[in-house]
Amino acid sequence: MTITESPVVPAPRGSHRLTTSKAMVEAIELEMERDPSVIYLGEDVGPYGGIFSSTTGLQEKFGAERVIDTPISETAFIGLAIGAAVEGMRPIAELMFADFMGVCLDQIYNHMAKIHFESGGNVKVPMVLTTAVGGGYSDAAQHSQCLWGTLAHLPGMKVVAPSNPNDAKGLMISAIRDDNPVVYMFHKGVMGLPWMAKNARATDDVPDGDYTVPIGKANVVRQGHDVSIVTVSLSVHHALDAADALAGQGIEAEVLDLRSLVPLDRETILESVAKTGRLVVVDEDYLSFGMSGEVAATITDVDPGMLRAPVARVANPDTPVPYAHGLEYVVLPRQDRIEAAVHRVVKA
Amino acid sequence: MTEVTFPALSKDSPTAEGVVSTWFVSDGEAVQVDQLLAEVQVDKVAAEVPAPRAGVVHLLVGEEATVTQGTPIARID
Repeated sequence: MTITESPVVPAPRGSHRLTTSKAMVEAIELEMERDPSVIYLGEDVGPYGGIFSSTTGLQEKFGAERVIDTPISETAFIGLAIGAAVEGMRPIAELMFADFMGVCLDQIYNHMAKIHFESGGNVKVPMVLTTAVGGGYSDAAQHSQCLWGTLAHLPGMKVVAPSNPNDAKGLMISAIRDDNPVVYMFHKGVMGLPWMAKNARATDDVPDGDYTVPIGKANVVRQGHDVSIVTVSLSVHHALDAADALAGQGIEAEVLDLRSLVPLDRETILESVAKTGRLVVVDEDYLSFGMSGEVAATITDVDPGMLRAPVARVANPDTPVPYAHGLEYVVLPRQDRIEAAVHRVVKA
Repeated sequence: MTEVTFPALSKDSPTAEGVVSTWFVSDGEAVQVDQLLAEVQVDKVAAEVPAPRAGVVHLLVGEEATVTQGTPIARID
C-alpha cells in the first residue's frame, strides 16, 4: 500500500423535530442560501407562505425577487419557470393544487417535460414543480385528487411524493439539484398542518443541515414476511396503521414507501414480493390505468410465478372524490380497506 | 425561570382560546434560544413559539390542549 488515506469521518449530525411542511421549507431555504439561481414562484407563496405552508417565511428572508407571488395564471408562471430553467436558473414553481393541472398541462407535458428530448439533450430544464395533492378533509372533487399517475404516465418528468419530514427535506434537495424537471407532490395530510386532522407521523426528527434522499429509491418502512403492501405518500401512514393491527392478528406485513413514482424502484418491489409472495398495492389515485396496475405489472412482467395469491389493489374506485365526509371515506384507501385486502390475499 | 405564554393571535378578542397544535420539544429537554418550541393556532391562524432563552424546558400543557391566549404553556429553567 503506497497511499494511506485517512477515512473521512462524517461530522456527527444533530437532529431537530419538524413537521413535513417545515422540513420542506427548510430544504428550500438551505438551497436558496447555497445557490442564488434557486427561486420560488406561485400563488400565495409570499407573505401568506403557501396555503399549505410550503413557503412559510421564505419571502421575508429572501425578498420578493426570489420568492414571487404570481397572478392566477398557471400557464404564465409555469412557462416563466421553464424559460428561467432553460436559461440556467433552478426555479421551483408551485401549482397550488394538482387538480389545477388542466389549465396548464401544455406547459407541463409539452414543454417542461419535452424540451430536453426535443433539443437532442442539448437543453436542460432543471426545475421543480411542487403541487399539493390528496383528500380526506372534505375539499371535494376538484381539490382532493392525487393525479400522480397522470404525470408519471407522461414521459420526461421525475415524480416524487414524500410521506414524512425526513424524506420531504431530502427529496426536495435532490429535486432542486436534479438537472431534470421533477414534480414534487406533497399530500396535504402529511404536512402536519395545525388545522388538519392530527397525524402523528407528520412530525418527526429531521437531520440538521443539508442531505439528499435519492430519487427513484423506495424505502422499506416496515419489515414483514406474509404480504407486501406497496404504497406512497399519506397511504404509507394508513398502511403502517393497518400493519400494526394485522400484527395483532398474526400477520406480518412488509410496507414499502415508494417515495418516487418516476423512476419506479422496481427492484425493491420485486425483492419484497419474492420474499412474501403476496402483493397489496395501495394508491389514493384512481384505480384504473394508474400506479396500482404499474406496480402489479412490475411482478407479472418478470415472474408471475412468484405470486402465491392474486394481487389486490386498494385505490380510489374511478369516481370523483365526494364532498360528504362519510362518502369520501368510502372511496379513499384507508385502514379498513387495506386490512380487508390483506386478509383476502393471505387467505387465498 | 422564564414563562412561555400562548401568543396573542387574536387582537380583537383578548380572551380568545387557541390550541397547542404541536410540541417540537419534549418535557425536560435542553433548548437553545430561538429554538422552535411549539406551533399554536387560533381558528386557522397558526404561529410558531420560539424559546425566549436557553435552558431546560418544562411543558405545562399537552398537545391539543385548548387555552386562553396569554396563558403560560411552558417554563424554561
